[in-house]
Amino acid sequence: MTEFVLETQGLTKFYSDKLAVDHIDLKIPRGCICGFVGRNGSGKTTAIKLLLGFLKPTAGSSRLLSCDSQNLTPAIRQRIGYVAEGHRLIRWMTITEIAKFQSAFFHEQLASAKQGEAGWDSRFFWDMIEYFGLSKKQKIKHLSNGQRAHVSLALTLAPNPELLIMDDPTLGLDAAIRRQFLEGIIELIMRQGRTILFSSHILGDIERVADKIVVIDKGVIRADCSLEQFRSAVKKVKFVFNQSPPETVDIEGLLGSRRSDKELEIILVGTADEKIAEWAKSSGATDYQTINMNLEDQFIEYTAPAGRNKPFTWEAK
Amino acid sequence: MALWIQITPGSDEPIYLQIVEQVGEAIAKGQLAVGDKLPAVRKLASELVINPNTVARAYTILEQTGLVTTKTGSGTFVADPALRSKDAADINMLADRIDGILSRGLNLGLESQDIIAMFKDRLEKFIKTRQGGRQKK
Repeated sequence: MTEFVLETQGLTKFYSDKLAVDHIDLKIPRGCICGFVGRNGSGKTTAIKLLLGFLKPTAGSSRLLSCDSQNLTPAIRQRIGYVAEGHRLIRWMTITEIAKFQSAFFHEQLASAKQGEAGWDSRFFWDMIEYFGLSKKQKIKHLSNGQRAHVSLALTLAPNPELLIMDDPTLGLDAAIRRQFLEGIIELIMRQGRTILFSSHILGDIERVADKIVVIDKGVIRADCSLEQFRSAVKKVKFVFNQSPPETVDIEGLLGSRRSDKELEIILVGTADEKIAEWAKSSGATDYQTINMNLEDQFIEYTAPAGRNKPFTWEAK
Repeated sequence: MALWIQITPGSDEPIYLQIVEQVGEAIAKGQLAVGDKLPAVRKLASELVINPNTVARAYTILEQTGLVTTKTGSGTFVADPALRSKDAADINMLADRIDGILSRGLNLGLESQDIIAMFKDRLEKFIKTRQGGRQKK
C-alpha cells in the first residue's frame, strides 16, 4: 500500500476576503520528489506555510508524516526539514554557533545509528560546509546570498530529514551555486525513502530533479501528475490549410490558438491523437504536425490567462 | 565513460529521451560495442545531476527496444543485435521520422534525387564511423 507522507484535504486559506489557497487536495507518496510550480502570488508559499503549521487554514486540513499540521509534535518536526524562502538565518551567529543552535533541536546521531536514521549528523554538516568552501568562524551576516543558501541547506540536511520542504530554495542564486544545491538534493534523493516537496521558478531545475509536478494557479491545483505525463499532455499542433483557417476551433482540451493566412497553431492539453486527427479531417486541414514544447513553454501556456477559465476534461492524476 | 552523455534541461525533448537517443546513437556508431557496460543508474544520475528515476526510465526504454540487457546485480550492457526487437511500431516510427525529414527537404526546394544522394552520403559516413569505432576496440 502506498504510504503518503504529505496529505491535504480541502485545504483553504482566506486572508480577510482574499482567497489565497482554494480547496487543495494533495497526496505525496513516500520517496516522491515533487516540484511545486506556480506564478508569483499563486499561493505556493501560503500552501507551504499551512503544511508546516505556520498558518491556520480557514477550512480543510493537512497532515505531514500522518500528523496534523496544526499539531506537529517536536518528535515529528525533527523528521521534517524546511528551507524558507530567502534563507533567513540568525545573522550575528558564526557557522559554528548556528550549527550548535540548530542541533539542539535534534537528537545527536549516535555512532551506532543505522543509515537513514534521524538525528543530527555533525560529521555530515561539517563535510558539507567544507564542500561548499566555508569555514567555522565566518559570521552569517558576512556571507553572500549563495553562501547563506549553502549553510541553510547544510543545516536542513544534517538531521537527515525524511521529508524535506523547500520554498524556492534557489531564488537569486547564480547558475554554479544552483548546480551545487541541486547536487546536494540528488545526494539526498539517493538515500532511500526521502521525500521532497520544493517550489521553484526555474523549470529546468524542476525537470532535472522532480518526478512529480504540481501546478498551482490562483490558489487552485491545476495539475498533479508525473512530470512525464505533464510533458506529454501539453502540446502544440500546427495545421495547414488551402484557404484561411476556420474561425472557431472546437476541440477538446484547447488552451489557446494563433492563426496566420493559411496556418493555425493550437495548444492542447490531454487531447488524444485520434481527436486531433479527426479535427484535422473535419476542418479541412491539408496537413498537420505536432510540435514538441519545452517545459517552460508548456507551463506558460498552461497558466496563461486565456486558458485559465476554460473547463478541462483532462484528468490530471 | 559516461562523459559523452550531455543532457539539456529546458529542451523540447524530455531528459530521459535525450539519454535514450544518445545511447542509441553511440551504439549505432559503434562507440559502444556489444557487451559494453553502461554507467550505473545512480552514478550517471549523480554525474548529470538528475533524478535517478529519469536514468532508470531511459534504461528501461533501451531495454524494451532490445538495445541493452540488464543482468541483475552486475549492470546494464549493450545487447547483441540479433536479440533486438524490430516490431511494426518501431518501423512505423522510423517512417514518421523520415517523413519529417522529407518534408523539410522538399520545403527547402531540394529535388528527390538530391535528397536520396544526401541520404546515401550520410549513411556512408555513419557506417565509416561505425567501422572506425569497431577497429578501435
